[in-house]
Amino acid sequence: MSSHDVTIAGYLVVLALIVLLQVLATRTRAPIPSLGDMLTRAMRSRTGRVGVLVAWAWIGLHFFAR
Amino acid sequence: MSGAARGPEDRQAHSPGTDGGAGAGCAEAVVDAARPAGRALAALAGLREPVVWILLAIAFFTAISGKPVDGVLMLLVAVGLTWDAGRRALRHPDTADAANAPTWPARLRGGRRRVAGLLLAGAAIYAGVVGSFSRYSWPVTACIIVLGTVVVLIGWHGPVRSRPVGGRLPVAGTLAWIAVLVAGCLWELGALLQQPSITTDSYAHPTISTLTDPVLAASPGRAVVLLGWLALGWYLVER
Repeated sequence: MSSHDVTIAGYLVVLALIVLLQVLATRTRAPIPSLGDMLTRAMRSRTGRVGVLVAWAWIGLHFFAR
Repeated sequence: MSGAARGPEDRQAHSPGTDGGAGAGCAEAVVDAARPAGRALAALAGLREPVVWILLAIAFFTAISGKPVDGVLMLLVAVGLTWDAGRRALRHPDTADAANAPTWPARLRGGRRRVAGLLLAGAAIYAGVVGSFSRYSWPVTACIIVLGTVVVLIGWHGPVRSRPVGGRLPVAGTLAWIAVLVAGCLWELGALLQQPSITTDSYAHPTISTLTDPVLAASPGRAVVLLGWLALGWYLVER
């Protein structure tokens, strides 16, 4: 297994864990908040809200803007 | 009626419970804020916010990695947040943080289907037009900056629709989310640091940006990704 494969496997593991947590949160009674609940909580204050929206804007800048 | 138009900090400031129950503490805070040293400290209230320091760190690292525009924009938001928090702390020393507000006010009422239709059409046009521009060109940069600024400014005043804020989150589940997200960030950082340089891609240790390059190389791929980015932005504005 090359370094390339290991790196991609790491991303896939993280992605799988995110999906797993979201499924547990929304389809079972496990005490796990959904990603939406987490975002709502993070955006409860103005600074948290602006921080999350700036992170969203940064994604656009990072992938498209110079 | 007027309650819906006021900001959460204003509603808190006018609520009987806040004014009455913490009267002595509020008076003390107001007196402190009235002194020059107290005013200076209140004006720097924003520096207590971790988000401000995170934005400053992003501004620094983005700028040194060859994207000064991103760095300047992050710096502007960090300064704006600090200024805004300081302004609110000076106006309402006891309610500078809106974290305890029971709800955000509604700013967009009725016609949800009509608004959604207009937004969907606008998003499709935006994604098609901006996706047709070359990556990292000035036209696409301008379009992203304008839309990002508009969305952040809209979000600055709260979500566009009223919604309950919600209660406490389960600690264990929250920690699980934080652990997974931090692990993802560290994995990405590890790949970034193992590149030949911070601006040179590595096949052996690809970052997420490197992995998405083939998708974003063509106009249709860029349009689809832009649509997803727009949908995420609208979802967040409504949170």
